[in-house]
Amino acid sequence: MEFKRLKEWKDKLHVCIRCGYCYEHCHIFKITNWESDTPRGKLILLYALLHEEIEPTDYMANKIFECFNCGRCDASCSAKVPVTDIFTDVRADFIDGGFDVKGTLSHINEDLCSKCGICVSICKYEARTLDKEQNKIIIDKVKCKSCGGCEAACPSGAAYIEEGYMVSEKELLEQVQCYLGGK
Amino acid sequence: MGLVGIERLKGILGEENVKDDKADLYVYGSDSSVHEAMPWVVVRPHTIEEVQNVMRYANPRMIPVVARGAGSGMSGQAVPIKGGIVMDLKRMNKILEINLEDTYVRVEPGVVDDDLNRALKPHNVFYPPTPASSRIATIGGEIANNASGVRSVKYGAVRDSILGMKVVMANGDLINLGAKTRVEATGYQLDRLMVGSEGTLGIIVEATLKFVPIPKYRCLGIAKFNELEDAGNAISEIMSSGIILSMLELMDNVAIKAVNQALDLGLPDVEAILMFEADGMAKEGVDIEVKRMMEICKKHNGFGIELSYDAKERTRIFSGRKKLFPALSQFKEFYSCTSLADDMAVPYSKMAETAKKIHEIAKRNNVIMTAYGHCGSGCMHTKILMDPRKKSQWEDAKRAVFEIYNYVRSVGGTTSAEHGIGISKAAAFKREKSDSLNLMRAIKKAFDPNNILNPGKLMDAPDDWVTATSLRYRTDPVDIQ
Repeated sequence: MEFKRLKEWKDKLHVCIRCGYCYEHCHIFKITNWESDTPRGKLILLYALLHEEIEPTDYMANKIFECFNCGRCDASCSAKVPVTDIFTDVRADFIDGGFDVKGTLSHINEDLCSKCGICVSICKYEARTLDKEQNKIIIDKVKCKSCGGCEAACPSGAAYIEEGYMVSEKELLEQVQCYLGGK
Repeated sequence: MGLVGIERLKGILGEENVKDDKADLYVYGSDSSVHEAMPWVVVRPHTIEEVQNVMRYANPRMIPVVARGAGSGMSGQAVPIKGGIVMDLKRMNKILEINLEDTYVRVEPGVVDDDLNRALKPHNVFYPPTPASSRIATIGGEIANNASGVRSVKYGAVRDSILGMKVVMANGDLINLGAKTRVEATGYQLDRLMVGSEGTLGIIVEATLKFVPIPKYRCLGIAKFNELEDAGNAISEIMSSGIILSMLELMDNVAIKAVNQALDLGLPDVEAILMFEADGMAKEGVDIEVKRMMEICKKHNGFGIELSYDAKERTRIFSGRKKLFPALSQFKEFYSCTSLADDMAVPYSKMAETAKKIHEIAKRNNVIMTAYGHCGSGCMHTKILMDPRKKSQWEDAKRAVFEIYNYVRSVGGTTSAEHGIGISKAAAFKREKSDSLNLMRAIKKAFDPNNILNPGKLMDAPDDWVTATSLRYRTDPVDIQ
């Protein structure tokens, strides 16, 4: 598989010094707590892909699509690595390569969708279109930024994002108990 | 790939806490250093018992175990050079007890430094070591590397904030070290031995730390210098004059330019800046110390001196120093900031000479180097800026590193002030500590007879850091001109 867009970022991937400051605010990392889900971890994977040291897999592709595009990694990077721009381009490479991904993208429950088109008009990234011939909503997996606008606007609950921002209630309670004087 | 029972580990930790996909392994084979090496599996314990059970599994099978915090180490401490199990301790991140009466806090190793200080702040106390990476650095990692930070000149390194800890040994036994008291003279200070041991002696699973009151007043001063040597001489005099200061930071011109390019802070484009700070509960006392530092800077041709008590302004100015490491990659197109020869300490009287020598060595070896650091604690940070795509630059860097450490030893300095040895600095460390290496090996054997705890580090690391592991940068087949 050719990562033609990724290759354009080769020099920027050299600039990343892997300090890890980008994952301080990463929502995905806060949920999973695995370093391979951090912006730094993903950049390391892309570096390996670029140099053909690992094979692209569905698992890896899904990681790249697991991102809420909040842009905090970009903002925190003093080395000025355009993290989310790189991820967006690599997403296009993965789609071109035929990978079927879920990630944190928005989806449609066809059984509930009334094709009203509200999600199309509200999507500020123009990631949704109504295909009249097929009579279904088409989602552009590269353009979708997982903002959740469609999910909030959909009157029939058909638009959804699988992963959320929350931590589990159990973890939250444990943290609160510790802060209140230990156990 | 070594033999490791993935299913056994899943049985101990749960399926969701064991990863062996190549994508995950690749990420966990890297940290903030120039090194890379793949583990066989990554595990994520949540409890002390789980850590014990992993060690009980690994020890008789001679499987290496590398403890990992945030992976922010700069010398390859968390890079599994011999493969094996990487033990990610970030999920053991509970603050177990804040005891205001006896002035200590008990934490699990995965607690992030800044999170701890956020929890302590409502009580008007803080845990002072605070390295620049405090936003992600975990307490366990800080202990394992004896980290320190900008205020170490007054409050000391992590070593000075430790009261005690719980450690899981190589065979899975749990031991309690230290005490909850401020003083202890009860036999060997084994808790201190764990500090800076880089995961080679045991897995730190709980720490009891001191905290101190947050000072009511902090005043930050900045002085500019047209000669790096003048700034060095000012450092030397400040430190020998009995001033009680809380920070003394140097930034040379390379560091200033990089910060300005990356963060647009508008720092003055001079040869060097000194940032100095005093803190305390009485403003009069802080004023006296800051003014004394200001006078010394003036005496050594410092100019444009500004003082600020304003917390927001101090944070703004200091953000440049906090983010300097990544910002250095902005200095020149296609150049990267590599953590090589990055944190030696030298005697105060040698600060000026060291800063000059660093630039001289860099020039002779076709690389760019910067001199900055917590000069108040004798720490001189450098980084080597180079084009990592060129093979020849790695040879240049190797020569520069060798020359720098030879110089540092010749003036009575030491290989690492706070970043640790890992792989990158092992050769220099072994030359510096040649007369105690056998003793260190005997200690290691007593703690870890099967040599499974972070093997291949410190005194057992290869001498040639360039070939010790894969480098995280891939060089082009032919040097780009």
